Amino acid sequence: MISNPAKASANKARSSDQQTILDSGLLTIGFNCVLQMPTGSGKTWLAEQAIENVLLRNQRAIYLTPLRALASELGERWHQRFAGRTVGIFTGDYKAQAMSYQRSQLLIMTPEKLDACTRSWRSHWHWLPDVDLIVVDELHLLGDPHRGARLEGTLMRLIRLNPFVRILGLSATLGNRQELADWLNGVEYGSSRRPIPLSWQVVRYKRAQEKPELLLREAQRAVEAGGQTLVFVQSRRRAEELANALKDSGLRAAHHHAGLDHTVRKQVESAFRSGEVSVLVATATLEMGLNLPVRQVILYDLQTFDGVDFVPLPVNSVWQRAGRAGRPGLDSSGEVVLIAPKWDGQVEHYAKGQFEAIRSGLSQVNGLAEQIITEVASGLCRTQTQLEHVFAQSLAAKQHRLASVSETIGAMLQAEMLQETEFEGQPRLRATRLGYVAVRHMLSPQTVLLFKQILETAFLETYCELSFLDLLMVAASSADCQPLIPVDFEALEDLNQGLAQEPSTLLGLSCGELVDLLQADGKRLLAIFHTALIARTWTRVGATFQVADEHGCYAFEVERLRESMERLLMAMVEIATAVAHPDSPEPDWVTPREKVKILAHMVSKGLDEQTVTLTLVPGIGAKMARQLQQANIADIEDLALAAPNQLTDLPGIAQKRAGQWVEAAEEMVDCHSSAYRYRESLPVGKVTGTRWSPDMADVDPYRLRRALSLKVQGQDGGVYRITGGLDPHRVKLGTGQFSCDCPDFSKGHLCKHILAVRLFRGERNLEELVAALSESGSGLDLFQLWIGA
Amino acid sequence: MAQRSLKTRRGELSFPAYVPVTTFGKKYPLDDLIRPYLHRLAPAAMVSYYYAQEMSPETSLRLPTLVDSGGFAALFEGSRLRQQKGLGVLEINRDDRTEQLHPKTVLEFQEEIADVAFTLDFPIPPELDTKEAKRRQRLTIANAHWALDNRRRRDLPLYACVQAWDVESARSCAKQYANGGFEGIAIGGLVPRARNLELVLGIVRAVREEIGDLPLHVLGLGHPNSLTQLFEAGVDSVDSSSYVRYAASGKLWGQSHQRIEEPTPTDRLHLALCNLATATGKTLPLSSSQMLFSTLRMSGTS
Repeated sequence: MISNPAKASANKARSSDQQTILDSGLLTIGFNCVLQMPTGSGKTWLAEQAIENVLLRNQRAIYLTPLRALASELGERWHQRFAGRTVGIFTGDYKAQAMSYQRSQLLIMTPEKLDACTRSWRSHWHWLPDVDLIVVDELHLLGDPHRGARLEGTLMRLIRLNPFVRILGLSATLGNRQELADWLNGVEYGSSRRPIPLSWQVVRYKRAQEKPELLLREAQRAVEAGGQTLVFVQSRRRAEELANALKDSGLRAAHHHAGLDHTVRKQVESAFRSGEVSVLVATATLEMGLNLPVRQVILYDLQTFDGVDFVPLPVNSVWQRAGRAGRPGLDSSGEVVLIAPKWDGQVEHYAKGQFEAIRSGLSQVNGLAEQIITEVASGLCRTQTQLEHVFAQSLAAKQHRLASVSETIGAMLQAEMLQETEFEGQPRLRATRLGYVAVRHMLSPQTVLLFKQILETAFLETYCELSFLDLLMVAASSADCQPLIPVDFEALEDLNQGLAQEPSTLLGLSCGELVDLLQADGKRLLAIFHTALIARTWTRVGATFQVADEHGCYAFEVERLRESMERLLMAMVEIATAVAHPDSPEPDWVTPREKVKILAHMVSKGLDEQTVTLTLVPGIGAKMARQLQQANIADIEDLALAAPNQLTDLPGIAQKRAGQWVEAAEEMVDCHSSAYRYRESLPVGKVTGTRWSPDMADVDPYRLRRALSLKVQGQDGGVYRITGGLDPHRVKLGTGQFSCDCPDFSKGHLCKHILAVRLFRGERNLEELVAALSESGSGLDLFQLWIGA
Repeated sequence: MAQRSLKTRRGELSFPAYVPVTTFGKKYPLDDLIRPYLHRLAPAAMVSYYYAQEMSPETSLRLPTLVDSGGFAALFEGSRLRQQKGLGVLEINRDDRTEQLHPKTVLEFQEEIADVAFTLDFPIPPELDTKEAKRRQRLTIANAHWALDNRRRRDLPLYACVQAWDVESARSCAKQYANGGFEGIAIGGLVPRARNLELVLGIVRAVREEIGDLPLHVLGLGHPNSLTQLFEAGVDSVDSSSYVRYAASGKLWGQSHQRIEEPTPTDRLHLALCNLATATGKTLPLSSSQMLFSTLRMSGTS
C-alpha cells in the first residue's frame, strides 16, 4: 500500500508515450538510452522514474543540466519528491555547498562540474563508482561549438571509469538520434507526439520598423483570448525595450534575461506563472529547461549572432523556443508565430521540424587538444596508441570527423604542453606543468599558450613591463573568458577616453602587432578592451552596480566577469611560475608573477593597487581594507605609520589586534612592501578615435565604407541605379526621403546604396566623414577597428 | 540440496564462492581501480594480512572481508620460522627491518577488521625435506588450536589452515581439526602443486572426508579451468588474484592467446571485471558488457 498519495500521483504516467516507455522497461533494462520527445511531453518525469529506480537500489544518480537556474528548480522539487534521500546541487552557484559529493545520493550537476570531477577522478573515487545512472538533459549540447567537445570528453571518461553507469540522454531536438544511440551502444526512442499540438503562423513585414506593431497585435490577440505570450528576442536590450513598449500600450509585460539579478529573475518568473504578467519578452535563457508553458510563443528575431555574423536560427533552436507553446488542460493547441521579412522564403521550413544533426566538437583541433591533455594529465592515457584508441570510440570518430590525433599530439609537443619520456624503453607522454595548468583550471590549450607567450616575452625582456590593464586584456582575449562584453558603436568614444587614461604597454603597439599578439581584431578586439576596462574599474570601485552603471552593462555580467578573471589570473600565476627566469630579479622589481598575483587579489576583492597592500597583513580582508581606507588609512605605509588608537576607533578592532597589524605593516614596509610597490608608472595607452559627429549618428561607418565601392549609374526621374555590389539596386528620392529596394533598408537601416547616392549628390557632411575614415592618426584607432579597416 | 553458506557479521556468504583477492597500498594501483566494483560482482573479498594493514575507513570494503594470516611470507627469502612456547612464529626481513608474525598479532588484527579469519599457517613447498615439512605442519596445527582457544570475537568465523605435502599428510592434518570447533577449514600450499590437478583433487577429497560438512576453502587457486572440478570435489570457496593478474597483462580469460596492445588503466579495469564476472558467474550489465567487450582490441600474442 502506498502511503504517500502525492508520490502515487507522481508515479502515474500521463501520456501514452510515457506509458509505452515504462511498459517497455527502457528506463531500467540496462541499456543506455536516447529519448527524443517534444518539449513539455514529460521527459523530466521519465527521468524521475529512472532515478527513483536507482535510488531504491541504494545507488547514486546524476542529473546533468546546463542551466544553473534549472538545477536550482529541480533541487527544490526533488528534495520533496525523493524525501529521505540526499539531494546535492553542484553548479558553482552554491559556493558554500552544504552537501558533499559522497553524502549525495542524487547529484544535480552542470556539465562543467562533472567534467572537473572526471578530470580529477582520483579525488572522487569514493563516490564515482557508485553512480548507476546519469541523465543527460539537453543531449543536443554535444553539438554546441563551445561546450560540446567537453561534454563528449566527460561522458567518455565517465563510462570508462565506471563501466556500470547507464546513460539516459534527453532532448527534444535531435536530427540523428539513432546515430547517437549507436555511439552509446544503446537504444533509442523517439516521438513527435505533443500533448498539445502546435499551430504555426508566419507574420511578414516589409520594413523592420513594422515589427513592434506586429508584435503588439499578435500579443494582444492572445491576451484577449485569455492566454499568455512568450516572446523570444536576440538581445537583452531588445527584450527590455519591447517589454517597455508593450507596457506603454497597456499590456502587463516584463522582460527576462541572464543579466537580471537572481532574485529579480525569480520574481519575474513567479509573476508570469501566477498570471500577473501576460507577456514575457525573453532572450535564449528560456530556450531550455525552465518550465513556463504559455498559449503563444512569438519568435520576434529569427537570426542569431554566431560570433562572426548574424545567421538564421537553427531549426533546433526554433523548436526549443516554440516548444513552450500550449498549456496542458487549457489550450487545444499551442500557437507559434514567426515574425519574418517578406523576402525570406525559407522561414516555412521551420514548421517541418527537420532537426539538424548533432555534430561532434572533437572535429575541431582545439577541442581535441584539450581532451588529449586532459586524458594524459589525469593519468588515463600515456601513449599515442592509447589516445588513438580512446578517441576512436568518440562520436567524432563515428561521424568520420575526428581531427588527427597524431598531428594534434605533435602540435602539443611542440607547444611544450606535452613531453615525451621513456619508460622501460617505451615512449610515454606526460603533461608538462603548462599542461597541468590547462587541465586544473579547465582552460583550453590555446589560452595557456597565449598566456605563456605573453609572459615569456615580458620576462625575458626585463624592461618590458605589462600594466594591470595589459594583463586584463590578455586574460580577456582568451576563449575562456566569459563573458566577453561587447561595446556599442555609441559607446566607442567613452571607451576611447577610458583607455586613454590607463597605463599600458600593449596599447602602444601598432594595430597589427596587437592583433597578432592577442589573436583578435575588429569588434572582438574592441570587446576585449571594453571587458578589460570594466575589470579594471571593478578593482577601483569594488561595487558591481556602480561598475555596471558606468560601463552600460549588467551587474550580473560584472560579477561573472570577476569570477572568470580571477580563475584566469590564478592560472596565469602558475604559468608565470613555469616560465620563470632562473636569475633572481632586483628586490624592488615586481616580477610578472607577483604582478599577476596581486592583480588576481585585486580582482577577487575589488581593491585597487594601493589599498590591496593592506590585505598583505594577515587578518585584514577586503572588507576591513575598505573600512581602513575610509578611515584615511589607504595603504600599508599609512598603516605602518598609524597610531593603534586610530584603528581601535573602527568597529571590531581591539587594541591588541591593532598593535599586531601596525607591527606587521612596519615589518613589511621595511622589507620593501611599499604602498607604491604596485603603482604604475607606464605611459598611458595611445588610443585615438576618429571624430564622429553626433549629427551623423545614424551613419554606420561600416556601411559608409562599403558605399565607397559602389557606382551610381545615374538617375531617371528621382530613381538612382546603383551597381558594384552583389546585385544592382534602385534608390528612390521622394518628398525629401530616400528609399531603397535592398533587404538592408527593409530592416530599417541607412543602407550603403543610399549613402552612395548622397555622396554622389555631394553631401558635405558625408564627405567629411569619408575623409575622417581615411585619416590614419598615431596610436590605435577604435573606429577603424569597428569598421574593420 | 540446501544452499550452503557461512554466516558473517556482514551477511551470508553463499557457496560455492569465488572470492577475489585485493590489496591496499600503492603497490598494485589496479586494485584501487577495481575495488569499488567488487561488491557488484563478488560475494566477498580476500585480503592478505600484510596489505590489510593499509586499509582505512575510507577504503574499507563493502562486502564480507576475508583476511588471511600472512604466513605466505614463510616462502620469502630471509624469513625464518621459529618455535616459541610451542607456537610457530615467523620472522620476516622486510625493507631492512625484521617483522615478527605471531599468532596473537594476527588474531588481534583479524578481530579488528576481518569478517572471516584464517589461522597462521606455513606453506610447505614441494621441494622441502620431510623433516621441515612435518615441523611446519606441526606448528601450523598448534597455531590453529591456539587461535581457537584465544578468540574473543564470537561472530568471527575462524578457518583452520591445512598444510601438507601429500594426500595422507593432508588427511592427517584435517583430522586434527575435525570437531575442534572451527567454523571452516582452509587448504593452503596448493598453488605450487596446481599443475598436478590429480594431487590437488586428491588432497581436497581427503580433507573433505575428514571434516564432514564444515565449509572448505582453498587458498590461492582460482583459475576458471579448475573451478568446476574443485567445487565438485567438495570445495565451497576459493580465493585468487589471477583475475587481476591476467588483466594487468592485458589478457582476458578464455582468450589467453590474445592480449590488448598497450592497455590503459581503464582497459585493465574492464578486463579484470570481465574476468571476475566469468569466475563468479555474475552477469555484467547490458550497457557495460557491450562497452567492456568493445574496448577490447585484442591482438594475437607472439
